Amino acid sequence: MSNNITVIESQFWRKFSRIVVNWSLARKILSLVIFILLWTILVQFIGYFHQIPTPKAVFLAIFELPVTLVLTNIALSFFRVLGGFFMGVLIGFPMGVAIGYSRILNRLIFPAFEMVRPIPPIAWIPMTVLFFINFESQAIFLTFYGAFFPIVYNTMGGISEVDIRLPRAAMSFGVGKRLMLWKVIMPAAMPQVFTGMKLAMGITWILVVAAEMLSNKGGMGYYVWYNHTVMDYPHVVLAMGIIGLCGAICSVGVGLVGNYFTRWQRIF
Amino acid sequence: MTNAEQEALGLVFERPTFLSKVFSEKTILNTISIVSVFVAWALLVHFRVYRFVLIPSPAEVLEYGRWWVGTKVFWIDTVMTTGRVLVGVGAAYLIGIPLGLMIGWRKVFSDLTFPTLEILRPIPAPAYLPIAILLLPTQELSVAFIPFIDAFFPVLLNTIVGVKLIDRDYFRAARCLGSSPKQIFWHVVLPGALPSISTGCAIGMGIGWMGAVVGEMITGKWGLGYRIWESYILIRYPLIIDGMIAIGILGFASSVLIRYLTIRLVPWRKAITESLDESITK
Repeated sequence: MSNNITVIESQFWRKFSRIVVNWSLARKILSLVIFILLWTILVQFIGYFHQIPTPKAVFLAIFELPVTLVLTNIALSFFRVLGGFFMGVLIGFPMGVAIGYSRILNRLIFPAFEMVRPIPPIAWIPMTVLFFINFESQAIFLTFYGAFFPIVYNTMGGISEVDIRLPRAAMSFGVGKRLMLWKVIMPAAMPQVFTGMKLAMGITWILVVAAEMLSNKGGMGYYVWYNHTVMDYPHVVLAMGIIGLCGAICSVGVGLVGNYFTRWQRIF
Repeated sequence: MTNAEQEALGLVFERPTFLSKVFSEKTILNTISIVSVFVAWALLVHFRVYRFVLIPSPAEVLEYGRWWVGTKVFWIDTVMTTGRVLVGVGAAYLIGIPLGLMIGWRKVFSDLTFPTLEILRPIPAPAYLPIAILLLPTQELSVAFIPFIDAFFPVLLNTIVGVKLIDRDYFRAARCLGSSPKQIFWHVVLPGALPSISTGCAIGMGIGWMGAVVGEMITGKWGLGYRIWESYILIRYPLIIDGMIAIGILGFASSVLIRYLTIRLVPWRKAITESLDESITK
């Protein structure tokens, strides 16, 4: 009998503590605290890691950040990423729709893409340097190339995998070809289109950083590499953090636009 | 409309013979597509359109390629790059899959590790290079670190999603029948997540090649990525394109290999995710 009461009591306290304290959030915060503690301890007490900056040094580096220089570099990187990304969307999305929608175009264009796609975008850097005159157009071509294939492939996949019942239902209501494409097939493909765009955004940031590291035309990748060459490691870590933040902002932005275009998915 | 659907609707009346397969609309259009790329390239170079003056022609690329494949350097480069990719991506598999399984399975474990990983995830792999150089004892390992980072997050996230997508009823059924957590892990969590894990592995392999090329271009002394960069500096332009083609073929072959292995390993995934991972490999 008393055993039962204990069980009920303990269940009550468990529920009570769940209402008062958000344990999941507490553990998440604890995770970050552990990460920073572990980082500090490793750097401070293990000789092997002594060259890596401590969290404290990285934090203090914030106050001596050359603000205008960093802001210029951020703007340059953003320009290159967004330029290539939007070109990728402007060319890749219609291309994907065409390839997904028309069988003849698919057979005419797709094999050529399949042939070029396995070449990693980074391997194109020397070719772009030969072909384009200034660094901006080289970098934008590179980010464009990186963004193009994920967008085309996901748009194509989204269009060709639309639930066949949707166009059939529309057809039985007498919907014409153009309306079918704009109002039925494209909206239905949007979730996968935006999966591709998110992927493309991640790849463009990787490419911009790599391209900037290999040249001396500014940008956050160059800033990281410059600080590496002058051995200012707290600023390297800080710059990594800034790049991560910029990348996260971009992918959240793509996600928000995606939410707008896939709003038919939400029931509420 | 797929062939199966056409057949179901009675649109296909006879089995295609060998000749009709060769001269079908599909093969003809596909051939036109591939040939036209080379023709356009050759013509643009031949007539020196815009900056195509500097770009080598297909014939030059072929000639240099023949010479290059015969040299020892090519084979050393290939082995080095493949080794770096395998070390980096293999490490990503070894760490990413168990971690992803635990994060997907145990809420407490997820809370304790995932926020940190979420902070590290948006940082692009090349930006890790200075830290990798500090952190790892040899330059070889710091080059392999970039494919590792590149492959790690796709593998991890796909594993987590794979576990999260397992029907909750399987866990309940297993627990009803008295399985221990260990048994649930080996008989529910792991097989349930395998289709998604194999997708993640294929994506990781594709991105891993990109990472290896970045690492080699910036720091390497050997490897295909370094050879491309060196040919650019030494003005041996046809070799750049040969290097690109070599990397493309190797990357493609390794993706096909991973896909083949995973289909053998997880026969039931074929129908579910084939088209999906086709579209997000790169």
